[in-house]
Amino acid sequence: MKNSFSLKAGALLTTAFGIILVSGSTGGLAFAQNTLPAGFKTGALAPEPSADMIEAGKRVYFTKCVWCHGVDGAGDGPGADRLWPRPRNFNQGTFKIRHTASGELPLFDAKKPTPGQNDLFETVTHGLPGSAMPSWEGILTEEQRLQVLSFVTTELVKDRKFTDKQSESQTVLQLGDLTPIAPTEESLKKGAELVVEKKCVECHGADGRGDGNAFNLKDDWGFSIQPANWHKCWNFRGSRQDPYNVKNIFRTFSTGVNGTPMPSFADNTTVEERWHIANFVNSLCEREADGKPLAIDPSADKPKINFVVSSGLAVGEIPADPEHELWKNRARRFIAMGGQITHKPRNFVNRIDDIWVKSLYNDTHIAFMFQWDDRTKSVAEGKLPWEPTSVNVDIKEQEPKTGEEGSIASHQNNYTVYNDAIAMETAVKWKELPSPIKPRYLFGSNEQFPVDIVKWEADGSLRAFKGTGWDKDFEERFNYEDSIKLLHSEWKDGRWTVIVQRPLGDKKEQEYDEDTFFEMGQYIPTVFFAWDGHNGDAGRKMAVSAFYYTFLEPPTPKEAYIYPIVIACGVVLLEGWVLTRRSNKRKGKTL
Amino acid sequence: MKALMSVGALIGVVGILLLAGMTVGIVPSNTVRLLEGYMPVQVILELTLFVAGFTGLSYMMASMGMAFPRFWQGILMWAFILLYLKFRVYPPIPFSVRAMYGTVSLVAIFMWVSANEEDWKKFKQPIMNILDAQAGGKRLLRYAYLIILPLLIGGFSYNAMVPKSEEPIELRTVHPAPPASTKVHGKTYTLQTSQNPYRINLEGKYDQDYSNAMTVEQGMGRLMKPNANPWDKDAQGYLKYVREGGEIFYQNCHFCHGDNLNGRGLHAFAFNPIPANFTDPGTIAQLQETFIFWRVSKGGIGLPNEAGPWASVMPPWEQHLTVDEIWKVVLFEYWHTGYYPRTWD
Repeated sequence: MKNSFSLKAGALLTTAFGIILVSGSTGGLAFAQNTLPAGFKTGALAPEPSADMIEAGKRVYFTKCVWCHGVDGAGDGPGADRLWPRPRNFNQGTFKIRHTASGELPLFDAKKPTPGQNDLFETVTHGLPGSAMPSWEGILTEEQRLQVLSFVTTELVKDRKFTDKQSESQTVLQLGDLTPIAPTEESLKKGAELVVEKKCVECHGADGRGDGNAFNLKDDWGFSIQPANWHKCWNFRGSRQDPYNVKNIFRTFSTGVNGTPMPSFADNTTVEERWHIANFVNSLCEREADGKPLAIDPSADKPKINFVVSSGLAVGEIPADPEHELWKNRARRFIAMGGQITHKPRNFVNRIDDIWVKSLYNDTHIAFMFQWDDRTKSVAEGKLPWEPTSVNVDIKEQEPKTGEEGSIASHQNNYTVYNDAIAMETAVKWKELPSPIKPRYLFGSNEQFPVDIVKWEADGSLRAFKGTGWDKDFEERFNYEDSIKLLHSEWKDGRWTVIVQRPLGDKKEQEYDEDTFFEMGQYIPTVFFAWDGHNGDAGRKMAVSAFYYTFLEPPTPKEAYIYPIVIACGVVLLEGWVLTRRSNKRKGKTL
Repeated sequence: MKALMSVGALIGVVGILLLAGMTVGIVPSNTVRLLEGYMPVQVILELTLFVAGFTGLSYMMASMGMAFPRFWQGILMWAFILLYLKFRVYPPIPFSVRAMYGTVSLVAIFMWVSANEEDWKKFKQPIMNILDAQAGGKRLLRYAYLIILPLLIGGFSYNAMVPKSEEPIELRTVHPAPPASTKVHGKTYTLQTSQNPYRINLEGKYDQDYSNAMTVEQGMGRLMKPNANPWDKDAQGYLKYVREGGEIFYQNCHFCHGDNLNGRGLHAFAFNPIPANFTDPGTIAQLQETFIFWRVSKGGIGLPNEAGPWASVMPPWEQHLTVDEIWKVVLFEYWHTGYYPRTWD
């Protein structure tokens, strides 16, 4: 109890100090309250919610929220210690996504959920993508959402008071009145210069993948946090389920993110500059080849998934250079990654949540290009406490209830560093598997239906394993390793690019019983695994994908050109017949 | 009659405008939301309203002397159903299923337009007009059809023959037949006779009526009953176990099954099949508690052979949890969704 009190006091001090620091750094404005930053207006504090609302909200809170946010709203519910980012501690009144100036309380009024005028309501409505906070729209009614917020803002925010005119002020960003500047080339260029000038790249990295000084960042409570990756706008907490909307970036940039090192830039940028920066940041988010935003799945707030990874035919050698035309023209596939939480050691926090895959094949080989964002290049420092091939279910994993000290959020970036790695699991003898041709998901069914695992690690090794079930150690396949080849591997500005080439496993040349046979025109079940060495990922603590299918695109058969013409001619004949018959009938009638 | 039809017409016009606006993005796409758990009923209700609307609309137009030909009514109705299925229903229905619904509705529309000789004649009149036209626009139209039709059919068949990659369709047994008994942590549990040891009343006796009275309320939000808060300091027996089960759930299960037990957890988007949605009336509400106990204990890997493919990432929870913890989680899942476990009788 004492401990948590001193922590709160400390956090309060830090916040206070932070506010002084920020206001100090804005050029030492002595009358900061009188000169509002551009785009802001002074607002009025909302009235206290009615006692009925608060009482009703308590019921909502203890049904839905308490499990993560805790009995006292200190962000220490039963689920908290295995989450990263951790659930919000409401006690200090520190909220991330706001329309209000840095350090101020967010907008909340229990009466009117007007768009842009009720920050907390919008957070509960849309959730915080990229974290465990879901969207409560469609689950809780509008009334219930306002009720629970009435309870949280009055009873669980303990160090500040939403209605105290003495200590609180509301300086509101007038986002509705500001018109975005069109994202022209000129605007983007200005934005690109400004993110360097305003030192955004120091944290967010030279290419905006959040790989700047990611190691020294802590939030107000001392938990490790990481800067946003601008290439994954669907994970922006403030994206309000509308990730490609530049206004959200403008808002976050103008108001800052309370409780984190992300300051407000309202005082040292003009509104126009902020639009340029927002346009530039928005332009970095992953898009389709034609520049259109990726289609977002509204039930997950992530890009929509297509489970077929199609491989294109290349004549001759498969190029080793990712900038080669053949690779550049290849369509890429978004592979969603979740934590491996099936077998021990489970990975509750996977820092790699997606990878991009391209594939090419020729008459003897198939190559996969994996690209994924990883803020840290990790090459093993420590020796693994277990053989990477062995079943390590006895390993100690994150305890469910550790207190804040032992939680995942405070351990981040403190793990022994292992290798970053990528692997693909394909079924051997998949044709003989019962329909649909899938082996058991993790590490194969049994001796009869094994899987083939090809794994690249950041120390440069490329190895092949045979998996015969989740509870069996992998066998390393030294003879196969001679025939697989690493074409390319590079970590640059927070992104890995790795190209691995392997034989097609043609029945004539290869051992069909041991290797995966990549047959043209067939759907070959494939699973992808990824490891982030700085997350302590090693062995079976990793990120996993679902079953995808590798599909070798066959060339267009000749029949595809002949039959349609035959069919079209047939239709013409049919038409002739109908017309003749009709006209005969008519003649017969008129005659 | 006229008043009734005007109301129908109004519904039809407003509904179409709203739907079109939501699809195009003029009206916010969440104006009329499909609610989780109520979606099938809602879809049927909406379609019924639209049919009523169209009937009214057609009647009104006929009475105003602007009768709409039966031929176009049929075609528009079919197009409407196809578009509704494609753009309104979420999550999206795969093409093959939509094709099936499309065929069924086509047959229904044919039955409607050919209900009697006169209707059928009216229906085919426009086709005959085009076929018989001797001059003017209709004749031109006929020649246009004669050229476009073979081109279109040829194009479709080429499109169908060019190699494409579409995810193979997989059928899965969602609730496979359970075994007679299951062995967890060295002890055998007969599914038909086992009971959740934590579903007890204050006297410590197994009491489903007692626990059913304490679960959350049905209806929007599914909130707990005001006098049954598991987080109450004095909570005893059943409610205390619900809280303990919830703690385990939010330390282990919510990553996939979601904070609201709706299968939309943090990792859920990465997995296929997607995690079970317990708030759906088709999952735990249809099953006995011992069935859940068996599925939770054995996970995806423990699925019987007929339930392939075994692509589920569901852990065999006996590897991570004790028997007591599993029973408590099951207890919590029923409490939080407000469903009653099915009984054997």
